[in-house]
Amino acid sequence: MTTDSLILPIALPLLGALLATALPRIAPLLGVLTAALTAMSGLWLTGLVWVSGDLSIVLGGWGLPLGIGLSADGLSAALLAMSSLVGLGISVYALGYFSGSERGLHFWPLWLLLWTALNGVFLAADLFNLYVMLELLGLSAAALGALTGSRDAVSANLRYLLVGLLGSITYLLGVALIYTAYGTLDIGLLSERVEPSALVSTSLVLMTAGLALKAALFPLHFWLPPAHANAPAPVSAALSALVVKAAFYLILRLWTDLFATITDAGAAFILGALGAGAILWGSWRALRAERLKLLAAYSTVAQIGYLFLFFPLLQALPPGPARDDLFAACVLMAVTHGFAKAGFFLAAGLVQKKAGHDRIDELGGAAQSMPATTFSIALAGSALIGLPPSGSFIAKWVLMQSALETGQWWWLIVIALGTLLAAAYIFRVLSRAFGQEPTPQCFITDARAEIPALLLALASVALLGLAAGPIWSLLGFEGVQI
Amino acid sequence: MNRDLSLLIGILVALLAVVLLWVFHSTLALDPGQRLASLAMERLPETGVSNPVTAVLLNYRAYDTLLELGVLLAALLGIWSLGPPRPGFQRAGPALAAMVDWVVPLAILTGGYLLWVGGHAPGGAFQAGALLGAAGVIMRLAGHANAGLPSETWQRWLVVLGAGVFTLTGLLLAFTGYGFLTYPPGQAKWLILLIETAATLAIGVTLAAAYVGGRPQPTAPPPPPLVTSASAEADR
Repeated sequence: MTTDSLILPIALPLLGALLATALPRIAPLLGVLTAALTAMSGLWLTGLVWVSGDLSIVLGGWGLPLGIGLSADGLSAALLAMSSLVGLGISVYALGYFSGSERGLHFWPLWLLLWTALNGVFLAADLFNLYVMLELLGLSAAALGALTGSRDAVSANLRYLLVGLLGSITYLLGVALIYTAYGTLDIGLLSERVEPSALVSTSLVLMTAGLALKAALFPLHFWLPPAHANAPAPVSAALSALVVKAAFYLILRLWTDLFATITDAGAAFILGALGAGAILWGSWRALRAERLKLLAAYSTVAQIGYLFLFFPLLQALPPGPARDDLFAACVLMAVTHGFAKAGFFLAAGLVQKKAGHDRIDELGGAAQSMPATTFSIALAGSALIGLPPSGSFIAKWVLMQSALETGQWWWLIVIALGTLLAAAYIFRVLSRAFGQEPTPQCFITDARAEIPALLLALASVALLGLAAGPIWSLLGFEGVQI
Repeated sequence: MNRDLSLLIGILVALLAVVLLWVFHSTLALDPGQRLASLAMERLPETGVSNPVTAVLLNYRAYDTLLELGVLLAALLGIWSLGPPRPGFQRAGPALAAMVDWVVPLAILTGGYLLWVGGHAPGGAFQAGALLGAAGVIMRLAGHANAGLPSETWQRWLVVLGAGVFTLTGLLLAFTGYGFLTYPPGQAKWLILLIETAATLAIGVTLAAAYVGGRPQPTAPPPPPLVTSASAEADR
């Protein structure tokens, strides 16, 4: 019966989406209720994995390889916990953000479908099922991104939709090759069967390329900044914090699980080099951005780059505690970015609503009159830079340590430059918040909208930084060794 | 698009095609591996249907099909979120209208047949739903602005019907101890037929509504009685 709960984080938001479609008048109420239930089921599952280890189930009673498997290990559970908490925060925020507007009517069912697909990706154990999930994810994400209805938003998200389709078709081509050769789609069975061959390498390249397009890995990131910057704030938060993570998660899963015996140092170096390009280019463009949400979107490009720096190092380290630490640091980095970027986008949305625009140079007054929101931006910003005690500080520390240990010192330069640039673009925003105007008396001006942003930003710094240990134990590793 | 860029893309795609052909001929053509078809055929009698395609879609891999219904719904919700539809076509002339009167009922009837026949021969919910959708397209082309679809409230319930019945069946089976979408022995046929019927309606309405191309409009209220200036004068 416990394994049956694997389906809940997928079935609950799906049912919620259906009800919110059928009953548009009470969609916000249904949406928040569903969000609470979905988050609870996700956290419950994370707890189960923590207590009793990996869970898996094959749906339909046919067993493998005929049926479709679902499974949750530490990696899935960590990302599921992220999507649960961030999703709940976004839902509570959206309740205030969309209240009384026509757009809210369309937001709820699409958002719950997006959440279904996200949890579905994290729990899937079947390559074709992952394709279906990616389609649902891409379609609902593009529809949500275009919700503002502005010309820019619609054209950016139409491009996002087409790029996403190209990505999933490329992925599907890889899946088709590997299925024809090995006759199963289950990741567990395949990882036992694959042997190095031209076909398997081609399949790995196709799947990785398709997913890299969806994860916006430099130089395939061109679609991300306009799509994320023009969406409504809760949607930007979901797209930047969660949706790109789904594609990244899948690449990590393929490289460390399914194709662990196939990957080699050269291929991993290419991923690392693209990641380095993403860090430098994304951070530079974020520094030059004139609008707050565009800054946040380019910062996502850079942060995705850090996640890909882990690949050459994971490839170089032999299995053992050092590699375990690095793997956990990679997960910690992804989860911290999820919280920080969601908090940042939600807070940026409040500033934009208050000021009526989001041009950074003219934000002084609005930012200063909302202390809690500015504080959220500062907290999230410190996690994006990687200041202690945030989760990304620990992650970057382990990353740099591993780079030294494996003799790949050149990544250190990239990390240092990226961190400096990140500090520059965050402080550029914060410096606007200290003007001459009298400081307002009250810290929180709009509780329902400000508290989710503040809590998410706080989690990225305090929860994941000071209490990073649980990630290690969730993944089944020994403690942090710094 | 810039000509050099499209040339570059053409060259890259051609290279990819060459690599794929080479991979195919060097490995798969020599040694086609064991696939799932034989296993699927072997266990067909247990699935409750005798058409292998329906068995894969509604039994072996029912979970995928459930999510594909979700994909269809997401597409329709995306279309609805972009605003009201364009005005429809003008009323059909007598020849087209007479044909529509024949074709639409026939399409609906054939859809019902395809739904039933899907259990043992090519057919099933997607084919039947496509026919229903086509009936809606024909209606709209002939000048029915809402493609013969019911009011917005009904449309909303109908488009979620397929995935709704599917998910609830799955959850009910999980709660009764069989497992999510694991049909109890002997019940598979009727459960599949139930799910397929709901899915057919949902797919048909979704496709027709997608063709209408915008959020359903409330049926226009009867125009307010004309107040002519003469009668307004008289009231004074």
